[in-house]
Amino acid sequence: MSAGAAGPDDRDLRAAEYVLGTLPAAERAAFEHERTIDPVSAAAVRAWEDRLAPLVLAIPEEQPSPRVWEAIVRALPGGAANDNRVRDLSRQVGRWRLATAGAGLVAAGLGLFVALAPRLAPTPAPPTGGRYVAVVTSGGALPALIVNIDTATGTASVRPVKAEAPAGRSLQLWYVGAGEAPKPLGLIGTDASRIPLPDAARTGQGVFAVSVEPPGGSPTGQPTGQVIYTGQLIRD
Amino acid sequence: MRDDAVLTRLLRDIAGQDQAALRTLYDLTAAQLYGIILRIQRDRSAAEDVLQDVYLRVWQAAGSYTPEAGRPLSWLCAIARNRAIDVVRRKGEVQGPVHEDGEDWLERLADPSDSETRLLSRDALRACLGRLDPAHRDCVVLAYCQGYSREELAQRYDRPVNTIKTWLHRALASLKGCLEVVS
Repeated sequence: MSAGAAGPDDRDLRAAEYVLGTLPAAERAAFEHERTIDPVSAAAVRAWEDRLAPLVLAIPEEQPSPRVWEAIVRALPGGAANDNRVRDLSRQVGRWRLATAGAGLVAAGLGLFVALAPRLAPTPAPPTGGRYVAVVTSGGALPALIVNIDTATGTASVRPVKAEAPAGRSLQLWYVGAGEAPKPLGLIGTDASRIPLPDAARTGQGVFAVSVEPPGGSPTGQPTGQVIYTGQLIRD
Repeated sequence: MRDDAVLTRLLRDIAGQDQAALRTLYDLTAAQLYGIILRIQRDRSAAEDVLQDVYLRVWQAAGSYTPEAGRPLSWLCAIARNRAIDVVRRKGEVQGPVHEDGEDWLERLADPSDSETRLLSRDALRACLGRLDPAHRDCVVLAYCQGYSREELAQRYDRPVNTIKTWLHRALASLKGCLEVVS
């Protein structure tokens, strides 16, 4: 092949070497541009990707560290790190005198948590049309859910900030009154929602918890999966 | 499961800004993509930066994926390989020696425990690679699987860079001709 030739064979070989990764940096950058404006070059790249793709099956898998996913979530547009409202909220967390269960409880079963809940519960506040907030966290710096309780209307507004359901599972929100069994409040979607409250929650006592459940929620009416988030109500 | 339909649906959901879908895609494919990247960019920390960048690109580009662009896993692997190669070429760094040669890769490709689909195209590629001059074939495989540059191949085989370029072109042209006949 003569140097400088630009015939169809030359283009196909450049596409092949582009896919292979052996083009020198400057030629690689030039071809990167070429493939975006020349459909024939783009098609040649796809054809070479297909031809060589079975070779990736020979490459052993490697587990990346968990910090990679954490960094991805932080960097997502509209994700936690870029959401001004979340930054504001995380600044407010101190003012709310946040009382959350520590990270050590995250992996613990709800049974343990329920046993602890009465001791963790704050002194009951008079149930006179107050507003409460629960910042539900998994022990990290950022809240996973913000639960705003309006006792006047008897509703809770739930705004997921960073809560993510594992694949094929649902996240279910529970209210755990002092010394009581958990009451299912509803499934957590990706959008803010309003849900009616059990009467006991209107006093501002108790704890909110989120568990991982089968799709559609716990089949038993009690948490069956791991409790991944917990948070107490604080008078706003 | 990593079949085409599942991955295609996930990419469609990701195009709709579904972070849970991105997480699922990550769970299904990150180990494979990280394996690919780590062979090319052998520093684990730098390789993880590339992996992070790959999924952020997927987040942005998922809407541009069409079945005409190839199978979804090939599309993801191409993004991962391209990013890894971009990074090492841009730095112009020559990576340390590794103790695998093209033959090792070819044997791994023949691993019968592999239950992935595309056995036919894999066997065709293996057959056609097997017909190449062994040194030429090794250059192709080392470049693809381990990100060897022409210069690194020239060092390894103690030949001028232009000879390596000629080897690669011959090998790639034969491969293309062979695959047209075999598959």
